[in-house]
Parts: sequence; structure tokens; C-alpha cells
Amino acid sequence: MTETTKPYDSTLGAALLLLPTLVVLVVFLYYPALLTFRLSLFQTLLLGTERAFVGLENYVGLLGSGAYHGSFLISVAFAATVVLGTLVVSLFVAYLLFQVEVGESTYLVAAIWPYALPTAVAGTVLLFLLHPTLGIITHYVEALTGVELDWFTSGPLAFLVVALSAVWKQLGYNIVFLVAALNNVPTTLTESAKLDGVGHLRLLRRVYLPLISPTLVFLVVVNTIYAFFGAFPLVDLMTSGGPSGATNLLIFKLYRDAFEFSSLGSAAAQSVVLFVVVALLMWVQLRVSDRYMHYGA
Amino acid sequence: MSQITLDGLTKQFGDVEAVRGIDLTVESGEFLVFVGPSGCGKSTTLRTIAGLEDATEGRILIGDEDVTGLDPAERSVAMVFQNYALYPHMTAAENMTFGVRSSFESDAAMQERVQEAAETLDIPELLDRKPSELSGGERQRVAIGRALVREPAVFLLDEPLSNLDAKLRVQMRAELLELHRELETTTVYVTHDQTEAMTLGDRVAVLDDGRLQQVATPQELYDYPDNRFVAEFLGNPAMNVLSVDVVEGETTYAAEHAEFRVPLPDHHDADLSRVAGSVAQFGVRPEDISVRATESGRQTSDGTAADESATAPQTVGEATASQTVGEATASQTVGEATASVTVTEPLGESLLLHCDVGEDSLRVKTQPRTAVSPGDTVVLGFDRDRLHLFDPDDGTTAYHSSPKGEAAPTRTVAEMQD
Repeated sequence: MTETTKPYDSTLGAALLLLPTLVVLVVFLYYPALLTFRLSLFQTLLLGTERAFVGLENYVGLLGSGAYHGSFLISVAFAATVVLGTLVVSLFVAYLLFQVEVGESTYLVAAIWPYALPTAVAGTVLLFLLHPTLGIITHYVEALTGVELDWFTSGPLAFLVVALSAVWKQLGYNIVFLVAALNNVPTTLTESAKLDGVGHLRLLRRVYLPLISPTLVFLVVVNTIYAFFGAFPLVDLMTSGGPSGATNLLIFKLYRDAFEFSSLGSAAAQSVVLFVVVALLMWVQLRVSDRYMHYGA
Repeated sequence: MSQITLDGLTKQFGDVEAVRGIDLTVESGEFLVFVGPSGCGKSTTLRTIAGLEDATEGRILIGDEDVTGLDPAERSVAMVFQNYALYPHMTAAENMTFGVRSSFESDAAMQERVQEAAETLDIPELLDRKPSELSGGERQRVAIGRALVREPAVFLLDEPLSNLDAKLRVQMRAELLELHRELETTTVYVTHDQTEAMTLGDRVAVLDDGRLQQVATPQELYDYPDNRFVAEFLGNPAMNVLSVDVVEGETTYAAEHAEFRVPLPDHHDADLSRVAGSVAQFGVRPEDISVRATESGRQTSDGTAADESATAPQTVGEATASQTVGEATASQTVGEATASVTVTEPLGESLLLHCDVGEDSLRVKTQPRTAVSPGDTVVLGFDRDRLHLFDPDDGTTAYHSSPKGEAAPTRTVAEMQD
């Protein structure tokens, strides 16, 4: 048994130091979460000034709601697209950054900076860059390909644009972690493979990916949370859930139900469902990856 | 099998010149060891041969082919790294086959080769284990096995034993030698450990500051160092080096120190006129100095290893029948220096004395269980065949007291039993 050092002699001292954090957590996280759950059992009127206990009726309502089912499917599709897209693109960029020998830091900064933008600012900027009639990117893409990119009216296009924006926004974060993970792979492994003449792709697939798998799993989890909760500003600023619900993610739908349609009870039920779904998803991801993941040597 | 030729090999990292013009030929089938202190450029040289670093200047030939600009994979070299460089998520067998899959006609042929290599290294039962389930020595065996499977023209080993514990290192050293004798593949081995260098190398190349200091067989390096660096680097404890004046005597030259005067034997290879009349660095190895007590009667001398009578601290007769050539025995001891013993270090198989001789300090290796204690005054003598003089300015050797090949003539086993 190794002896653990106790930084504080008195339990009281330790508790006192933890207190501010605990207070913040309780006041702004656990208590509101409890209230949300309680609220999901009520039907509300006039911003919650009048409420009536309805039991699980809000949940039952969600089960039968076509709009909710649509939003649910779109959210799952959106999360899958964003998680996969972010990982593939950032892995590609990180691998290039890992291999480049000149101007490394310049490239790294260039790859990371989108992450430094607040999502709301990014959403506004992207809206103008990609605007169907005013956007400079749209203009050139249309000029080069001849395809009309009217994503204000086309549902699938709108979904794609928001997903791409979300991926773009999340790249920097992923790249930082992936470059760090790749740099942790012992150089002699790379050199050994070089001596054997192992190609770049095979090296990536057979050596690097297994060795950085803990980081990959971590990123899958973080990206999943981001896709379900973090894309709200993009949807709000770029599409407002439209056209005809094509980008109406759960997080956006529950916000509108609560604050535009004043169904606080139903929105609270949606929050609880979203929370449970994401929690379950993460549990599955961690369980599955445990089986395939390789931790250290 | 192929020879390796380095032709003016130079490697710079920015402003730092790690390797400064090395010319060297490693003969086909030879086991050559690069040895030197850290930062001397030995690993860089090896990595440049492997192609992991590009040569800044100069050429590298493997066999007759100029490989200077080739990719590592095109050079037919296999390398073993200090940290083994095994893929942690693959089994030993997968580690051995991962890089070579494409070079085998069939999977069966490859598996057969792996099995063969595993049997050579005595690890067939470990093939299904992952590196984390192997000990350090087993991992290094797998790494060597991976090199064997490739059947390269050249083996490059970069401090392969440095991560192993001392006992295992000695064992692996012997196994590497055996393996090399079996395969006779040209091998270049890098180490900072002089014992490894001496025991493994057919020839040893001593490097310092990016320059080749000397390449020779281990014994020749030890007996005839080309310069002061090589003299002091090899041998433990290191050679004693003191400043002396070289004076011309009546018949021969002599090295004159404040406390002693050593006549320097003349021979056909010697040219003492170069340093005569000036200051030089006088070098003598600790084991080439004999010790005598000053009081009459109780005297000890550095006798021979075969002398069983040395089990107790007692007088060792001069010029016993068991004298051996090359060790300082009374008959060939020259010079006489009175010294006071400051420290004694019993090393088990020998006793190391630190002695003050005037301003200087000498390390003397004598027989174990010699009755000497700190504070004693002793008389030191020097083996006339094993003296060296170095130029005080550039450190090059000015003189060896015996012509090459004669200081330590090879003895046969029969002679040893005499």
C-alpha cells in the first residue's frame, strides 16, 4: 500500500475550500436540474405563473408528437454527421500537422483559431459568408459547380450547412487533442516503420489510430455532447430551425417550446429526455470503446 | 552481407555540427562498435547510416551502392532501438511481421521465418504475447527478432542493452555475440559503455566531438591509444596522465617528474626526438604500476593473477616463476616514485589505491588483500613496456614504450597453463 499524503489536516478545512464550488454547482446546476424535472410533471400557463400537476402527461405527449419525433431524428442524424465529420477532418488535418516539419506552429494556430470564436459570432459570420444571395463562398461555389445553393428553402441543404458550420467550429478543439496525442506516440515507432517502408495510411490505421484511441474516444464523447447541446447558436442565427423543421434540433425545439410557445412543462420534459438520451449514449460509447481501446504500453 | 563505407560523412543540426567528416569502412560481416561519451555523434552517425537523418555532406555506401539519398526502407538495414520500439498493441509475432508483410511471397513463408527467428532467440512461446506482458529482456529479444525476420544486409543497434539491468546485459551481450557469429551479418553497434564496446566489437571506433578518434581492435585500442582521449576513455579506472619533462639521458631518453624519473626504452618504432627537451603528458594505466612497501622486508608487488600465494597479505617474492608478460613485475619495473596512499578502494578482484606523488595523484591497481592503508608511504614502479607519452598541445600520442604488437603478445592457452 502506498501512503497517500493528506494535504489538509482537518476535514473541515478541506470542506471549506470545496464549499464555493459546491455552492455554485448546487445553485446553478443540481437545483435547477431538480426543478426542471419537477416542472416536467406540470402543465403551465402564462410563463409558469399558473401550473397544474399532470404527472407523466408531458412525456406521453412527446411520445405521440410527430414534430418531436422529427426533431429527435434530425438531432441524431445531426450528431452522427458532426461527430464523424469532425473526427475525420480533424484527424486528417492533425496528421498533416504532425508530419509537417516547417512552420508547424503557424499551421497549428491557423487550424485552431475557429475554436477561439464564440459560436454566436461564428454563426453570424458564417451566415454572411454562406448567404444564398449575398455570401461570397456561395457565390464562388455556385460559379464553379453550377449548383444552386439556396439553403434558405432547401431542407437538406440547410441541414448540411449547419452541420458543416458545426464541424468547422469544433475542428480546432479536436486538432489540439489529436496533435498532442500523435506527438505522444514514441518517435522510434515511426522510425521503425520508416525503416520497414510502411506507408503513411497503413501507419495511421495500424499504428497511430490504435495508440491514440483513448483520445479518440474522449473526442467522440465531447463531440457528441457538443452536437446535441452546443449547436444551438448556429441554428438560432442561421436557420431558426427551418426550413420546415429541417434543422429543428431538440435543443432548439425545446427552447422555442419554452420561450416562444410558453409550454414550460413540455419543454422541461424534453430537457429531461435529452439529458437521458445523451447520458445513455455516452455510457454506450464508453462501454464499447473499453473493449477495443488500447491504453498505453 | 555487405560492407559499409562512410566517406567524409558530416551531419549538421542547424549550427551544431554533430558529425564532422567521418571516413570509415565496416568490413562485410564485421561487428563494429561506435563508442564515445554522450553527444559525441555516435547515434547520429548510426541514424545517418539508417537514413533516419540525412547526411549534410559526404557519402554512405552499403555494398557497392551509394545509399546517401535513399529512403530508409530502400537501404536493406534493420535497426534495434534502445527503447525496443515495439508496437504495444500488437503481439510479438505481429510486431515481427508488421513491417515485412509485403516482402514475403506467402503468409506461410513469413510465418516460417518468424518461427525460425523466434527459435534462434529462444522465444517461440512468447510469440502470442503483447509487449506489456514481456520483460525488458524478452522485449529486446522480440525487437532483435523483428530485425532478423527482415534478413537485412546490415544490422544497426542503438544502445540496445542500455535499458536492461546489469546481469541481463551481460547475458544478452554474450547472446548477441553468438548470434553474430551464427549470422555473420555486418553489424554496427552504438554504445556509451566501454565494456560493451570492448567485449562485442571485432573493431571499436572511438568518437569524440563528432570526430573519429581511432578505429582498432579492442586490445590494440587499449594498448596503443592514438591519443590521450582514447587512452583515458577506455579502461576503468582510467589511465593516469601526468605532466613530465622529457630529457635526453646518456643512452636513452627519460621522463622526468618532480618525484621520479622513468627511463623510456628506445625501439624501432619510437621517435622521442619530437618531444625531447619539452613537456609531455606521461600516461600509465593503474594496473601497470607496481607497489612496494618502503620498510625493508615487508614488501608487496603487483604480481600475477595466477599467484595463489596472494590470498593473505604477505610478501610476494620478486620474479616468481608465474610472471606473465605485460604485467608489471619487478623485473621490468622502471622508475621509482615515493607516494603516500590517500584512499584505498577494495574492488574485490583487485585493490585500487589513490596515491599522492608530489603535486599529482595516481590511481594504482594492485592485488586484493594487500596490506596497505591510507597514510602509508609506498614505492611505485612502472611497467617499462606499458608507458605512453602524449603531446601536451593536441593530445596525440608521441610515444608508446613498446612497438606495436609486442607489449602484449598473444598467449596460447598452453602457455597460460605453464
